Amino acid sequence: MLRILHDTKYDFIKYWKTAALGTIAFIVLGMAILGVHAMRHTSALNYSVEFTGGTVVQLTFTKPPGADAVRSGVDAAGFSGAEVAQFGDPLNYMIKVQPKEGVMAAANADSLGRQLAQLIEQRVGGGNKVTVGQATSVGPRVGSELKTKAITAILISFVVTLIYLAIRFEWRFGVAATIATMHDIATTMAFLAMMRLEISLTVVAAILTVIGYSLNDTIIIFDRVRENLRKQRKESLRDVLNRSINETLPRSVLTHATVLAATLALLLFAGEVIRPFSWIMAFGVFTGTFSSIYVAGAILLWIEHKWPRTPESESKGTARALAEGRRRERPTPVTTR
Amino acid sequence: MPLKYRVLTIVALCLVSIWALFPRNVTTREIGSDRLMHDVTVRHIPLRQGLDLKGGTYLALEVDDSKQAIPADKKADAISRALKTVRSRIEGFGVSESVVQTQGADRIVVQIPGIQDPERARKLVESQAFLEFKIADKTQALERALPRIDQVIKQRGLVPLGDTAGKTATTATKGLQGLLNTDTSKKSDTAKKSDSTKKGVAAAKKDSAAAADSLKLQPGGAFSSLIEQGGMAGEFYVETGKIPTLQRYLADSAVKAAMPPGKDFLAGSDSASLQGKWYKTYYVVDNKAIATGEHLVDARPNQNTLDGTVVEFSMDNIGGRRFRTETGKHIGDYMAIILDNRVMGRPPVIQGAIGTRGQITMGGKSLADAQDLALVLRAGALPVPLRVAEVHSIGPSLGQDSIDKGLRAAIISVALVVIIMLVYYRFSGLLAVGGLTLYMLYTLAALAGFDAVLTLPGIAGFVLSIGIAVDANVLIFERIREELARGKTVRTSIDEGFRHAMPAIVDSNVSTILTAAVLYQYGTGPVKGFAVTLIAGIAASLVTSIFVVRTFYLLWLNRSRGAQTLSI
Repeated sequence: MLRILHDTKYDFIKYWKTAALGTIAFIVLGMAILGVHAMRHTSALNYSVEFTGGTVVQLTFTKPPGADAVRSGVDAAGFSGAEVAQFGDPLNYMIKVQPKEGVMAAANADSLGRQLAQLIEQRVGGGNKVTVGQATSVGPRVGSELKTKAITAILISFVVTLIYLAIRFEWRFGVAATIATMHDIATTMAFLAMMRLEISLTVVAAILTVIGYSLNDTIIIFDRVRENLRKQRKESLRDVLNRSINETLPRSVLTHATVLAATLALLLFAGEVIRPFSWIMAFGVFTGTFSSIYVAGAILLWIEHKWPRTPESESKGTARALAEGRRRERPTPVTTR
Repeated sequence: MPLKYRVLTIVALCLVSIWALFPRNVTTREIGSDRLMHDVTVRHIPLRQGLDLKGGTYLALEVDDSKQAIPADKKADAISRALKTVRSRIEGFGVSESVVQTQGADRIVVQIPGIQDPERARKLVESQAFLEFKIADKTQALERALPRIDQVIKQRGLVPLGDTAGKTATTATKGLQGLLNTDTSKKSDTAKKSDSTKKGVAAAKKDSAAAADSLKLQPGGAFSSLIEQGGMAGEFYVETGKIPTLQRYLADSAVKAAMPPGKDFLAGSDSASLQGKWYKTYYVVDNKAIATGEHLVDARPNQNTLDGTVVEFSMDNIGGRRFRTETGKHIGDYMAIILDNRVMGRPPVIQGAIGTRGQITMGGKSLADAQDLALVLRAGALPVPLRVAEVHSIGPSLGQDSIDKGLRAAIISVALVVIIMLVYYRFSGLLAVGGLTLYMLYTLAALAGFDAVLTLPGIAGFVLSIGIAVDANVLIFERIREELARGKTVRTSIDEGFRHAMPAIVDSNVSTILTAAVLYQYGTGPVKGFAVTLIAGIAASLVTSIFVVRTFYLLWLNRSRGAQTLSI
C-alpha cells in the first residue's frame, strides 16, 4: 500500500498567524496593484468587451507579422486608441476597440473585422494571409446589464450555499465556511489584478467554480470535525481540528493532485481562449486548500472562543447531524464469510 | 440490492448511454452552392456543438428606440411579435440548426451556425421590411419651399459638415472609421454601383446630364446648393459627399417644419455618376401611402433583361382591390415603391390600374439581394425596428482548433488522473479507473440526452470534472484504508468505508451543484454550456463512485471469497 502523509500529526493551527499575515499581504498587494491599474487605465479591473461594450477582432496570420506592423495597420484604419495584443502565439492578434460615444458599434463587428484584416494584409504584405478568427461586438447597455447579472450570480450562489451549510451544519461552521469563501474571492481578485487577466463571462464562471471547489474542500474537513466532535467530547476544538485536517490530508493531497493535473492539462494544452479560465482554476486549487485550513479552520476556532458551544445549543443546532451520527454509530451487522 | 440487479442496472445504463451517443442520420435543408435548397443528410454523434466550436454568428437584437421612444411594456409585446417574423426570415435563409429565441423580455437571440456571410444575416434580421407605395410629387412642392428652407438654415446658423462620406471609396482610412459612424448599407451601395452598365442607372445618368444643363436651381442657398433637379418631377440628385450635410439639415426641427407639408423627402436606392462625381437620388413623395405591404402574400426574385434584378410580388384579393382603386386614381403619376423609408429604384409611371401583381426593380443588385428581399417581404414586416445589440462571429477554423485542443487537454488529463489513481491505489485504483470510464460515457450520454450544447467552456468543465470526479473515490478509498487499519475484515472495511464517506460526498457535491445551477440560471451561451457539463458531470460521478465502483468491489468479493487483503 502506497501511503503519503499517513497518520501525520502536524500542528497546522499553530501557524495560523503566519498564514494570516501571508494571505493579508497577498490581498493587500493585489489591491495595491488594482489601485495602480485604476490610475493607469480606465478601470481597475480588465473587463472584456462583454462587460464594457465595444468591439474585439481576432486576426490570424499565416506568417508572424510583428506587433508593430499590426499596430500601424490598426492606426491606419483610424483606430489609434485601439488595444493591440498578441493572442497566444505570434500568428494571432487581438484588437480591441472601445465604443465611441453614442455609436452603435455592435452592428459592424464582422465587416469591421474583415476590412481590418484586408487593410493589415496590404500593410504587412509578403503574401501574409489574414483571416478573422472571431469578431465580437457588444453594445454598452448589454455590457452593463451583464455586469449586474454576473455580480447577482455570484451573490446568489453565495446565499444559496450559505443556506445549504446552515441546514447541514451548525451555524458556526456555516459562518466560517462563508468567510473562507469571501477570502477566496478576495485572493482570486488579487490574482486577477497581478496577472491582469481579462474578466470575461468564462472567468466569472471560473471564479464561481473556485468558490464551489473551495467550499467542497472546507466541507470535507468540517464533516470530519463534526464526526470527531461526536466521538471525542473531551478533546479541545483546536486538537479536533488539527486531527481532522491530518486525517483528511491524504485525501486532500490526492484530490488536489488530480484536479491540478486536469487544470494543468487545460492550461498547457487547451489553447489561448480558455487560458484565463485555467489560470484561475489553477490558482483556485491552492487558495481553496489554504482557506479550508487557515481561514475556515481558524475562524471556526475564533468563533468557538467567542461564543463557546454549550451542550444545549449543540443539540439544537445540529439536530440533523446528530441524527445522522446515531445512524452511523449503529453496530455494523457482522458479515458472514 | 442483489448483486445481479446491480450488474444489470450498470449494463442497462451503459446500453442506454451508447444508444444515446450512437451516430445517427440528421437530415436538414440547406442552401447548396447552386443557391437552391437541398436536403442534406449527415451522420454524426448527437452531441450539439455550440457556436464557439462550430463557428457561426450570434446576434442579439433589441428594439431600436433611437428614432422614436417606445414604452417598456410595449417593447416586450413587440419583441414577442417580432420573434415570429425574425424566425421565419432566418429559417428561410436555409441554415440548419439555427436558433431564434427571446432572451429576457426585451431581446431576441439569433444563432446561425457555420454561416459564411454574417453581414448578410444581420441585414436580413435588421431590415424592418415595411413596404409602402406612395405617389411621387409633381407639384414642385420642394422647389417652392426652397427659399424658406434656405432662410431657416441661415437663421439657425447650421454649417455644412466636412466632405467625409465622399472619400469613402478612395481613402480606406476614413471609410473604415466611417463604418462605425455611418450606415454600411449606403457604402456597399456606392461600391456596387461602380459598374454602371445596369440599365436603370444608365438611364438616370442620361436624364441627369440633361437636367444639369437645363434645370439649374437658383444658386446660393445653403439647401438649394446641395440638391440638383433630377430627370423627373420630384426627383433630385445629391452629391454623395454632401449627404451628411443634407442629413444634418433634415434632422433639424426648424428645417423639418419648413419642408413642404404633406410630403416626404426620401433617399432612393439608386446612385448615378455625372462628370466624375457620384450622385444619390432623392425623391419628394406624398407622405400618405396608397398601399402597404400588409396584404402581400408572395414575393419571388427574378431577373430580366429590361429591369435587371427584380422582386415580383402579389397581393391578396382585398389588397389587390384597394391597390387597383388607388392606382386607378393616379394614372399618369409616378409611383414610388418604398421599403423601410428608401425609394426602391426609379418610380415607374402608372399606366393603368394595377391589380394584385407588381414588381420592385432593384437596379444593379445581385440575385442574392433580390432573394433576401423577397424572403424578408414574405416573412412580413417587423412590428418595430430592431437593432443589433451584440454580435459574435467565430470562424470555422477557430472552432475546429478549439475542439482539437480541448480534446487533447481531455486525453492528457484523463491519462494523468489514471496514472495517479493506479500508482496510489493499485487494484482499487483500477476499479476507480473503470468507474471513470463509465463516468465519461454517462456524462456524454447525459449531455446528448438532454440535448445540451457543448461549448468550449463546457469542454473545459468536462476536463476539470474528470479531476474532480475521482474525489468521491478518493474519499471512499481513504475511509476503507482507515477501517482496514483498525483491523476490520476486507468486506466490513469496504462496507464501512462507503457508508462513512457518504455525508462528505453528498454535502460537497450538492454545494457544487447549487453553484452550477446558479450559473445555469444567470449564464448565457458558453457559460450555460459550462454549467450543464458541470451538473451532468457531478451527477455521473455520484452514480459511478457510489454505485458502480461499489458493485465492482462486490463482484471482486464474490470471486475471491476468502480475500484477506485488499490492494488499495
